[in-house]
Amino acid sequence: MMTLVTGGAKCGKSHYAERLLENFAGKKYYIATMEPYGEEAMAAIVRHRKLRAGKGFETVERYMDIDGLVAPEEFRLPRGCGILLECTANLCANEMFKDGRICDPTEKILRGFGRLKDISAELVIVTNEVGSDGISYEKGTAEYIRVLGTVNRLTAQMADRVVECVYGIPVVRK
Amino acid sequence: MIMITGGAFAGKLEFARAHFGLNEDEIVDGTDCAPEDVFTAKCIVHYERLIRRLMETDGQGLQYGAGGADEEMEAVGTDGASKCRSLRPLAFTDRLLCENPDAIVIMDEIGSGIIPLEKSERLWREQTGRAGCRIAERSDTVVRICCGLLEIIKGIPR
Repeated sequence: MMTLVTGGAKCGKSHYAERLLENFAGKKYYIATMEPYGEEAMAAIVRHRKLRAGKGFETVERYMDIDGLVAPEEFRLPRGCGILLECTANLCANEMFKDGRICDPTEKILRGFGRLKDISAELVIVTNEVGSDGISYEKGTAEYIRVLGTVNRLTAQMADRVVECVYGIPVVRK
Repeated sequence: MIMITGGAFAGKLEFARAHFGLNEDEIVDGTDCAPEDVFTAKCIVHYERLIRRLMETDGQGLQYGAGGADEEMEAVGTDGASKCRSLRPLAFTDRLLCENPDAIVIMDEIGSGIIPLEKSERLWREQTGRAGCRIAERSDTVVRICCGLLEIIKGIPR
C-alpha cells in the first residue's frame, strides 16, 4: 500500500503520516530528505525527531538518490518493511539545484519512489503544496514549482491513496 | 467550535453569515479588533491576521523559530506566563479554545506556497498552521469553502 500525503506548510502532514504507520508491525524506516543546514532546518529536524521518538522508526538520512537505497551495492532496505519518506519537496530541491545547474529530476525521483513501493509493504510519502501563492518567481523557483507539481501528480498516479491535510484534517483525494 | 477555512475571497464569511444568520455585531475581525474580543465573540473572521498582529505586538516575534512552536509552548508554561508571552499565538489560541468553545472561527489557508524569504513571514505561516491545527482538532465541524461551495471535512453539518 502506497499513500501520498500532501498539504501546505505546517498543516499536520507529518503527524498524520506517522499515524498511518503507527500499527505497522514490521521494521520501519524514516527516510529524511532535509539537509540539516541552518538554524531553522535544525529546529524543524529536532521537532520532527521528537514527534517520532518512541515510534519505532530507524532514521535514514538521504538527501537525494532515493533509487540507490534499494540498489544492491548500497544500503539495502529489507523487503516487506514500512517506509515513511519526508519529504518530496526537499528531495526535489536537493536534486534540482545540486551542482549550480538546474536539472529536471522528475524521472529519477519517480524511479526511486517506484523502487521503494516495490520493496515495501507500506510506503508513505509526504510532499508539499507550493503552487498556490500566486506569486511570479524568477526562473529557478518557477521551474521548481513546475517540477514539484509534476512529481506530485505522477506520485499520486502511482499511489493507492492520496490524502491532503487541511489544518490537521485529512481530506481523502484518492 | 466550528471552523471555516479555504483560500482568500472564497466566500467563507458570506457562507457563515447566511448559514448561521449572523448579525454584523456578532462578528469580530482579526484585522483590527482588540485581541480580547475574540474570547466572547460569536464569530471571528481573519484569525490568521490576528496571529500576525499578536506576533508583531509582543516584540519577540523573531525568536519564535529557533526553538520551534512546541518549545515555545513549554516556555509559556514554565516561566509563569508573563503578560508579554501570554499574547503569543499558540497560548492565545489555547485560551480562545478554553474560553469561547462555541465560537465560529474563520481562517484563511495560507501555507500552500513557496517558503517565504522573509523570516517573519515564515514564522507567521508556522504559527498560523499550528494554531489552525489546534482549532481544527477541537472543532466539532470543519468546513472548507472553495468558489463559494462548501465541503465538510470534519464532523456533521449543523
